[in-house]
Amino acid sequence: MAASQALDTTIAVVTPENIAFDYQLAGPFRRLPAYLIDLAVRWVLIVIVVLGIYLVGGLIDFQLLGPFATAAGFLVYFGISWFYGTVMETVFNGRTIGKWSVGIRAIDTEGRPINAKRAFLRNLLRIADLAPVAALTSFSDEVPPVFIIPTGMIGLATMLLTRRLQRLGDLAAGTMVIVDERAWRLPIAKVDDPRVAALASFFPGDYRVSRSMARTLAVYAERRHYLTPARRREVARHLTVPLIERFEFRADIDPDLLMYALYYKTFLSESSAEPPDLGPFAGYSPLLRDAGKPAPADSTSTLHPTAPEVFQ
Amino acid sequence: MNVAILLEKRRVQWSELEALCDAMESRGRTDKAGAAHHRGAEGVSRFSELYRSACADLALADAYQLPPGTVTYLHRLVARSHNQLYRANKFEPSRWFNTIFHEAPQQIFADPCVRIATIVFFGLFALSIYMGLNEDKFPGFAEAMVGSTQLEQMEEMYEKPISGSLDHYVPMAGFYIMHNTGIGLQCFAYGILIIPCLFILAFNAVTLGTVFGYMGREGAVGGDNFYHFVTAHGPFELTAIALSAAAGLRLGVGLFYTAGLSRADSLRVNALRSVPVMVASAILFTLAAFTEGFLSPSPAPYLVKAAWAIMSSGMISFYFVVLGFPRDGFTRRSVESDTPRSPWSDEEGAIDAA
Repeated sequence: MAASQALDTTIAVVTPENIAFDYQLAGPFRRLPAYLIDLAVRWVLIVIVVLGIYLVGGLIDFQLLGPFATAAGFLVYFGISWFYGTVMETVFNGRTIGKWSVGIRAIDTEGRPINAKRAFLRNLLRIADLAPVAALTSFSDEVPPVFIIPTGMIGLATMLLTRRLQRLGDLAAGTMVIVDERAWRLPIAKVDDPRVAALASFFPGDYRVSRSMARTLAVYAERRHYLTPARRREVARHLTVPLIERFEFRADIDPDLLMYALYYKTFLSESSAEPPDLGPFAGYSPLLRDAGKPAPADSTSTLHPTAPEVFQ
Repeated sequence: MNVAILLEKRRVQWSELEALCDAMESRGRTDKAGAAHHRGAEGVSRFSELYRSACADLALADAYQLPPGTVTYLHRLVARSHNQLYRANKFEPSRWFNTIFHEAPQQIFADPCVRIATIVFFGLFALSIYMGLNEDKFPGFAEAMVGSTQLEQMEEMYEKPISGSLDHYVPMAGFYIMHNTGIGLQCFAYGILIIPCLFILAFNAVTLGTVFGYMGREGAVGGDNFYHFVTAHGPFELTAIALSAAAGLRLGVGLFYTAGLSRADSLRVNALRSVPVMVASAILFTLAAFTEGFLSPSPAPYLVKAAWAIMSSGMISFYFVVLGFPRDGFTRRSVESDTPRSPWSDEEGAIDAA
């Protein structure tokens, strides 16, 4: 692999359209809950179907149909416990009920949906992946020797050793398990702070941010919701100190607000010639040369008790 | 053109593509996406058009200075559409026929793993029969291998002559399919780790062989009834166990005998080769289970059961050898190299220039 690739759990897949898109791989901590859910679903299914068969057989004529019901019960148990995963993944494009509820999906390593052969292989080999089994009898002598716990060490080890987090079944079938998120998050952060647009108007009209700066601004705007105000200021300060010097803003300006305003100017504002309506902020200026000016007359503004410090 | 306006314009198309993806994921068709122009061929062409434009958007994401969140979303959207456009093949019975009657026997005939598994299984089986029979040469062998309680249970089971009725046969057939095919599938799955697979194979071979030998002793309780029971389904069952282990071993061998491929690729190639063998094995298990459920416990004369056993052995042999014989088996491979010989060479058979 290229050394430039990030140490991340994403895998790039190149399509025939010559587009490389990324998949996020699912690790053991997503796949184990999915497996446990599937285990529960499997048993519930078996119980329901077998009871249903017996109920139908008993209602019609149990003397005649009883043995057939028993045979069908064995076959249902066998079929569901061995082929539940195979059938589900083939029909639902690589998802079982457990995978669907956790939000993961099995696809082949070229990024295509898996076919029946691959689903068959990866689900059968799960037994080998769950090896070695630990018997409960090794912990206490009271327990009957039927209870054995699969430890899954083999699958875990191969997941650690492969680049695509594949267990043995995945390796044999040529599949990988990816996170299958479908949420449409509004990619543009909504600006709800009225100060931002006002501050953005003080950037010179001919100022264009560089491409890397634009990307940084976008990441910052998406991420700032997850940070505390103090942390935001700390992160933003590194970038805003040169900006404040360059545009001769007041030194006490809030770095977070400045970044946000620059983001707004870059991505959201109309690049029209007319100056925007500053609303209640008309008259306040963040510029250093205006620092000595008195505040505007209408100090009845209920916006802020310390109106001149509005940009802090 | 700023990003917000651009996104607003593109988002209409993206959400349309999403709706189409939703419809195709649930139904495999675009009909359910709602709009009238999404039905049939028109919907498919519309889908591919939208997909291409989404691909173009993704390719130009950097030039448009799209925010990373949008790029992530586009990655996902393109991935989803890609999954719908390049679908898995649908289930085709004709291909399964080809798998069972062409691929599987060819693979079985050519695969050294099959030979290893059958030699291990039938070798240990025959050895255990011999050692279980000769109580005076190998004292205590059967008890050590199977356990005396198990042997007593066996004797109790076959003490009475077989007399089954239909309501006994049918559940038993179901149980045998479940139990024996389960063991076979387990053997196959553990094949990737080799050792557990060989252990299951050897364990079954030794246990079965010992019981066969023990029941064959002079004066064994219920010996005749036992052979009456096992003759009919023996060929199917024993071959199926050996075959499932062979398919499993093919996986495990692929892990370390890579034939110049990378390890993961070699495992994948070998696994795909082993699937037809495993399918054949599962079919044999099923046949064995039906025989074991219906013919073996029936009061039919021993001759019928023996005839069935001979016939099934013949069918298996035909399947392995006749269907499995290499298609180019009759063309003699030339030992010589294909390079044309020079007329000036001094070897035998050179073109006579005179």
